[in-house]
Amino acid sequence: MAFMINRRTALAGAAALAAVPAAAADKKVIIGTWGGDYSRLLTKNIDSLLKGVEVVHAEENADPRKAKMMAEKVLRRGTTDVQGLSANDMYEVDQHGLVEHLDYSKMPNAKNLIPAMKYPYGIGHIYSGKVVLYNPDMMKAPEGFADTLDPKLGNKLGIIDIQRQYVMVAAALASGGSVHDFEPGKARLIACRKAGARIYPSNEAFAQALKTGEIACGIMWKARAVQWQNAGIKVETVAPKEGVPMYVSGFVMQKNAPNKEAAYAWLNAMMDPSAQKNFAIDMGYNPTVTNADVPADVAKRIGFTDEEKKRLVDLDYAYMAKTDAANQDWWNKSFKG
Amino acid sequence: MRHELMRKNQALTATALLGPATIFIAVGLLAPLAILFRYSLNGFVAQTKTMVEALTIQNYVTFFTDAYYTGALGTTVRVALLVTVVCLVLGFPLAYVVARTQSRFKHLLIIAIVLPLFVGNSVRAAGWMVVFGNKGFFNASLMGLGLLSKPIEIMFTEKAVIIGIIAVNLPFMVLSLQSVIESIDRAVEEAAFSLGAPPLTMFRRVLWPLALPGILAGTILCFILAMNAYATPFLLGGPLFKMMAPVIYNEFTQKTNWPFGGAIAFILMAVTLSLTIAANMLLRRRDTRVSPT
Repeated sequence: MAFMINRRTALAGAAALAAVPAAAADKKVIIGTWGGDYSRLLTKNIDSLLKGVEVVHAEENADPRKAKMMAEKVLRRGTTDVQGLSANDMYEVDQHGLVEHLDYSKMPNAKNLIPAMKYPYGIGHIYSGKVVLYNPDMMKAPEGFADTLDPKLGNKLGIIDIQRQYVMVAAALASGGSVHDFEPGKARLIACRKAGARIYPSNEAFAQALKTGEIACGIMWKARAVQWQNAGIKVETVAPKEGVPMYVSGFVMQKNAPNKEAAYAWLNAMMDPSAQKNFAIDMGYNPTVTNADVPADVAKRIGFTDEEKKRLVDLDYAYMAKTDAANQDWWNKSFKG
Repeated sequence: MRHELMRKNQALTATALLGPATIFIAVGLLAPLAILFRYSLNGFVAQTKTMVEALTIQNYVTFFTDAYYTGALGTTVRVALLVTVVCLVLGFPLAYVVARTQSRFKHLLIIAIVLPLFVGNSVRAAGWMVVFGNKGFFNASLMGLGLLSKPIEIMFTEKAVIIGIIAVNLPFMVLSLQSVIESIDRAVEEAAFSLGAPPLTMFRRVLWPLALPGILAGTILCFILAMNAYATPFLLGGPLFKMMAPVIYNEFTQKTNWPFGGAIAFILMAVTLSLTIAANMLLRRRDTRVSPT
């Protein structure tokens, strides 16, 4: 018998091939996320709540994941469903038209979301604030950003390279600037650098330097300070008098996500009170829902007092996105040299 | 007629053998390179971080007129040359011993040289981080012995990067040299000695010219690997140290400036290729001059 391929059999074959990934995709959701603790805790606290859905993590830092989203823009089907990004990155990818505007009615847990964490293009997952970290054995408590990002501290001040945008916000707040204008802070940072401020490539390298006494202070998320305190590092925090810049980390849905229904289910689980509570306990960030029953002692350590809450400052994501390329150039060429 | 048929068959076989690799290279390497080159001629709007279609050499001009980028290129070439020379100097005696040894443990020596290649670059860099830190193995040992009063800064300096890349590249140099030295008949060295040549003359007039193919292969491999090093400079050089591969990565991923990233990638490729060809020609010309024939 001769084996004939005519138009009809070819079409049937193609349809069968197309149906295979579609059927598999129904049970699979792919989450783009940072690796390490964060990914591990997503598995422990969120993925475990989804029954009958296979959750796969595509682990990478935010920048390469954003670059991939950009490269996949023209594709009908992207390679991830959900991406974990900081609030300013969420804004930026939305500006590039890479993410789906969410239908909150598909996520019952969204009714408990703090309104400020509800973006049209994404959902805040955790939040913390940028505070001053110092070693009480090496210096007296600073009051804010101005006496921390201070050239007088010489090489006892540590600055984290990947926290560039937030260091620039802090320097601006300390120098008469604002979240809408980073320019006034630049001279202060250059003066600190000339005075010998140490620059570390990662949060972990900064923590190591705090631990060994190489540096006495710096600025970082309060949540990280809590984690490092838990790890035995001698470090105290101060909510800066100039204002506490907020850090929000959340999730967006890629516009060409292969499985949007599963993505909605995962996002809903992300806002589950138990998942939010466990993230607060495990990672020291504040929940973004109002019904997470965080133990009082944990809430006291990770949260902010009513007085401090008044000083929480949300960032100007539009300004940050617009000036980011130029500020990166300034940071690399003028600040780091 | 039969002869012609055989020739045709041979041509077909050759095509069948070459075809898959050629297609793979064309699709997997040349096509992306062509796309990247086209991107490198595009424009970029910094405010919106978007690429705009254009046909301009502005990205190449920017690179050569900005001291930040030419500085990164200068550092990369300097580090790559230094690493290659050190690898050659350290690698030649080691390769010679391995090639000439009659020991029954020769295979163990070769395994010892190859063994570091079993561990990824970034894992090895992590190891160096433990050694180089201010309270790392190196400083702690010297301070413990009373030889240092305060730690030497090695981590996040050029020194750390150079040591790290040498450690990565040395096995490539040794293996390239060892296989060539092994193929040189020991009798030619003995002939030189019996004619009264001192060891240095024997090395210069006999061993070096005969080992030149291996030296070229080793130095080219070592130089190219050093020029394109990413993990080692990124992890050991720290935020203030600039080499080309991390700069390219930064342009693509952090600034999303694909046109400029593409231009820098092509500049790095062109410089690496030009210096490799120049070194190759120089060494071969000197060899022809030195060679007795």
